[in-house]
Amino acid sequence: MIEAQTRRRLYTFPLHRRDSIGSAYHVLTFEANEPIAALPGQFAMVRSTTWGDAPLLPRPMSLLTGGTRPSILIKVVGEGTMRMAYASSGEQFELLAPLGRPWSPLPEGHRAVFVAGGVGVAPLVFLAQALGEARAGGEMPLALYGGRTHADLPLDAELAAVTELRVATEDGSRGTHGRVTVLLEKALDELSGRAIKVYTCGPDPMMAAVARICAERHVACEVSLETPMACGYGVCLGCPVPRRPAGYLYACTEGPCIDAALIDWERGHGVSAGQKARGAS
Amino acid sequence: MSANVDLRVDVGSLTLKNPILTASGTFGYGLEYDDFYDVAELGGICTKGLSLEPRHGNPPDRICETAAGMLNAIGLANVGVEAFCRDKLPILRQRGVTVVANVFATTVDDFVKLAQRVDQEEGVAAIELNVSCPNVDKGGLEFGCDAQAAARVTAACRAVTRLPLWVKMSPEAGDIRGVGLACQEAGADALTAINTIRGLAVDPRTWRARLANRTGGLSGPALKPLALRIVWDLARTVRIPIIGIGGVATAEDAVEFLLAGATAVQVGTANFADPMASKRALDGLADYCRERGMNARDLIGKMR
Ligand SMILES: Cc1cc2nc3c(=O)[nH]c(=O)nc-3n(C[C@H](O)[C@H](O)[C@H](O)COP(=O)(O)OP(=O)(O)OC[C@H]3O[C@@H](n4cnc5c(N)ncnc54)[C@H](O)[C@@H]3O)c2cc1C
Ligand SMILES: Cc1cc2nc3c(=O)[nH]c(=O)nc-3n(C[C@H](O)[C@H](O)[C@H](O)COP(=O)(O)O)c2cc1C
Ligand code: FES
Repeated sequence: MIEAQTRRRLYTFPLHRRDSIGSAYHVLTFEANEPIAALPGQFAMVRSTTWGDAPLLPRPMSLLTGGTRPSILIKVVGEGTMRMAYASSGEQFELLAPLGRPWSPLPEGHRAVFVAGGVGVAPLVFLAQALGEARAGGEMPLALYGGRTHADLPLDAELAAVTELRVATEDGSRGTHGRVTVLLEKALDELSGRAIKVYTCGPDPMMAAVARICAERHVACEVSLETPMACGYGVCLGCPVPRRPAGYLYACTEGPCIDAALIDWERGHGVSAGQKARGAS
Repeated sequence: MSANVDLRVDVGSLTLKNPILTASGTFGYGLEYDDFYDVAELGGICTKGLSLEPRHGNPPDRICETAAGMLNAIGLANVGVEAFCRDKLPILRQRGVTVVANVFATTVDDFVKLAQRVDQEEGVAAIELNVSCPNVDKGGLEFGCDAQAAARVTAACRAVTRLPLWVKMSPEAGDIRGVGLACQEAGADALTAINTIRGLAVDPRTWRARLANRTGGLSGPALKPLALRIVWDLARTVRIPIIGIGGVATAEDAVEFLLAGATAVQVGTANFADPMASKRALDGLADYCRERGMNARDLIGKMR
């Protein structure tokens, strides 16, 4: 299913449609005149040609789909995502894609367990769909999805279509009351003795907690990293993530998808600040 | 393509095939562009700043966007001069890329060692001395802000290499023309102007500086008017060529710098927004010159 990375290119595509999910989330679908050969977990650097010098830099966004209808799920947090949320059909966008390391394949005989937070769901929906296509009558992934409130669970229906879905909200407005990690601990208890692999994407503090729980139980865990990026293809060195035991790895080329055991979750400004949240918290 | 335009320019004894280079720290080691275009077409590439030993760089966050620009505090993360000479340079040489080795150290002795090391290699066209990095505790900026210190580094390196020496100016020097003159007297072949200028961004929600290092170097379009003014000032002050840098993104930007007195330009932050930016600037410059029936050299210092 998951093969070597393809050639990266700067594509210019018009926005085909924008679908809003509540006020904070939007799916942008582009009209590709040639398909993007992207694998689940890969991302694009995205920018509208109307931006000019502000915002200057493209924004990294996980691909929700590739092919001739590439799409992204965005959460409005600042200037760039706000502009994307107001874009109208036909507006020209530049997508530098496909970038970064995709999710690694699900090992033979393993059950996939997804842990998603908020907008971190995008690369997992892509993966679940790909696993579904590859699976001939096998098991569906088990997806655990958390948000602050019921409105922070975009694409839950899309996820439910291709996984066995369980949700949690911090305010109890939907599913289990509490954090998604509560669901994870419970699921790992249920599945104990089975070969499983956890794929997770969401806010840093959530991924750090998931990584810790998996490490304690010797369960394989792969994360999709989030860090600010200027280039997305390895030249600015602006996207370091603390590596164990020392040094850094670069999220755009050595990630974003990477074995959680390689990351030092305690070190680093961005991680400890816990403010950059791809998802709900 | 550029059959009837001559884009060559002379930076001292070094003739570049055209005046569009890439800026140190914004183009990796030049090998990252295979998917996009042949970087040997450019006038040259400046490597990420090389130090004697590999450096991990500063903790995250290292970058943030600002109005018409960005701040960076990378902290000169690099593979080290040995790994560069062993792993990267042979490939660049084989592809015919004009390579400018940007080097960085915190002492004069280490600058000398770097110059000696690079000098031993085939395929390096020039050395660019980074005496103006704002993002490291020690060394960087002090050399670039003090005419005598900058001249000391330049003279010491001049003594150990036959390669052209470019010295990268800091906009933070109080008397930048004095620094430029001192470097010229000490044997610099060209001045690169400018490096980034220190800036700060604060997050009003968390009350924290946005960068872990707190301050970072400002680059991008926001820097361009300052860079142009400094290029113009330096070009009226020194005899050696000036390489203009700061917010160059398009052919028109490059033309502005040439008219203000630069002999060549370097494209930096623009490479992040568009990996093809340098190549587009080059093609655009060829068109600009062709339309006017002139060569790149004809533009230098012609501002009225
Ligand atoms: C590999 C990768 C994949 C990503 N995939 C997605 C995706 O699929 N969908 C998506 O919506 N986002 C995704 N992100 C995050 C996204 O890139 C940022 O949210 C975006 O760059 C913010 O840009 P902005 O201009 O709106 O905000 P800025 O103006 O740059 O920042 C505004 C404020 O928001 C803060 N901020 C920045 N990012 C976030 C964030 N994610 N959440 C909360 N606060 C933030 C900043 O610190 C700042 O204070 C991904 C990031 C990476 C590295
Ligand atoms: C991310 C980043 C890293 C940089 N690293 C270096 C470096 O290693 N050595 C150096 O001399 N200049 C470095 N610079 C400065 C640039 O070479 C250039 O002087 C500056 O960015 C201004 O040009 P620009 O506005 O076109 O980017 C760096 C700039 C950026 C943005
Ligand atoms: S984003 Fe530039 S190196 Fe990773």
